[in-house]
Amino acid sequence: MIVHFWGHEFKINIVLGCIGGFLIAVVSSMFGFGGGPFMVPLMTVGLGLPMYVVVGSSLLAIFFNTLMGTMRHYQFGNFDLVFFLIMFPAAILGGYIAPQIAKRISPTTVKRVAVAGLVILALNLLGVY
Amino acid sequence: MKRSWLSLAVAMTAAFVILWQNGAFAEKPAQHAPAPKAGVQSPAQGAGKSQPPAAAPTVQIDKTALDNGGTIVVTGTAPVGKPVYLEVWAEKTVRASRFDADVDKDTGKRPYILYMTHDMPAYYKMFVPKEHKETLVKIKQEGGKWSFSKALKDVGADAVYSAPAAKAVDRYQATLMGSIIGSRGAPLSSMDEKENAKRSMQLVKARFRSVDKVMSADVEMHPNGTYRAEIKIRAGLAPGKYNIVAAVDKTAKSQPVTFENRIAFPLVYLSNGGTSVNLFGPFFLTLAIAIFGVLMGAGGGFIMNPLLVSIWPLPHTVVAGTVMPTVLFSQGSGIYNYSKIKFISWKLGVAIGLAMVAGGFIGPKLTEMITLAQFKFVFGWILLVLAGLMFWQTTPGYLEKNKKEQDIMKQFKKQAEDAAKAKKGN
Repeated sequence: MIVHFWGHEFKINIVLGCIGGFLIAVVSSMFGFGGGPFMVPLMTVGLGLPMYVVVGSSLLAIFFNTLMGTMRHYQFGNFDLVFFLIMFPAAILGGYIAPQIAKRISPTTVKRVAVAGLVILALNLLGVY
Repeated sequence: MKRSWLSLAVAMTAAFVILWQNGAFAEKPAQHAPAPKAGVQSPAQGAGKSQPPAAAPTVQIDKTALDNGGTIVVTGTAPVGKPVYLEVWAEKTVRASRFDADVDKDTGKRPYILYMTHDMPAYYKMFVPKEHKETLVKIKQEGGKWSFSKALKDVGADAVYSAPAAKAVDRYQATLMGSIIGSRGAPLSSMDEKENAKRSMQLVKARFRSVDKVMSADVEMHPNGTYRAEIKIRAGLAPGKYNIVAAVDKTAKSQPVTFENRIAFPLVYLSNGGTSVNLFGPFFLTLAIAIFGVLMGAGGGFIMNPLLVSIWPLPHTVVAGTVMPTVLFSQGSGIYNYSKIKFISWKLGVAIGLAMVAGGFIGPKLTEMITLAQFKFVFGWILLVLAGLMFWQTTPGYLEKNKKEQDIMKQFKKQAEDAAKAKKGN
């Protein structure tokens, strides 16, 4: 498939993109997360697209998954309204506060902290400690 | 600016609905009424004594209301020498499900049947005589593989187990094809009483997870046939009416006595999760994770879900099903912002998006087929992979490449923004 983006042409392997996207969607909707951090490497490394094409388009692809996943979870009775109403305003508020902090902090530092945090959390889930 | 007003409105509405759901605006005449000091007498007391062979035990409680848990002293008399079991359950119900994919001992095949009930009490616990304390400790040492039906037998409570057994358990035959198209499978005929009871025990375990939550050796038996038990009702449970029944065997049972568990703001009851939480807990957790998520450039769902199932006794199905919609709005507004400056390849996004729609159709079906332990295990590995990806993004080689990419991106973005502005100007 050929993707046109601001005067540039990219030839990509759409089969790989679709299979990868499908698998990411199954896992992410099963476990209830977005899937962005897996989609971006798939599209940059797997499909060889530059970052500026990926940022918006990966979000669009994930949105499809989140929308479908939400509907299906609702159908299976996995949705709790009160719980949602507690978390939803907090998520939106976080989205407004974060950019204010982002100006003063390096994303690399945040990522290093995140790596440590994720490993600790992962080991806890795996029952290592 | 418009968007922040919209968010504020959403937040206000949410707060209002929570308050309303919590009954803050409802009249609460019972709330401040002092609990009667005198015990509640069971009508079964008189009837029991006239029939010695199947004498029903009596049951009295020292208070009829609790505020978010507490201790209730249960006393009564039973036929001398017979152990008394106290079954306590909430009137509020939750859903419980279990996917049976274990090899059947008789046929050697995996049944792949999904068992589900919508009427599992939000709280259920069997209080057994104190002499069984060590048995329970032993069961606890078995870890996650303990069996509720075996535990009931070990303490001699299998005959008195009744409240969840009375609830109908639905079962569905799952097939590979069914799972692919996201169907629960064909409903099977309803089970007989014995089978229903057996499956309900497995569902009790699936819902309440640990033996501590459903069994406790607290009933003190006295030689003269009286008994006394201090029942601890933990915090964070469902509000509403709770029943206590004292039983010595299948037929000799007292009438239920009831007490009320009350919760008040800022505690709210999550009816689908079957848990009362302080609403500020999930709120600030979500806030912190959302901020952190934006800063590191990954959604917060990764960290949110494992933390939520670890901190609160919420089913993983409810956590996954409720966290997912919370990111819809931020994703939608992100897409809107990018589309305003035409910074999205619709062809690419929709092409991969369609594949993801298929994935999103199947995934939520699979959530209920795994246990919480499996959920945590797989999540552990997902997080390790994610940590690896993040670590890779902090390596010098990647950073250098990324810097170049970011510069190009800024350039493109500016170009796109200018183009969008120019168009508006015309």
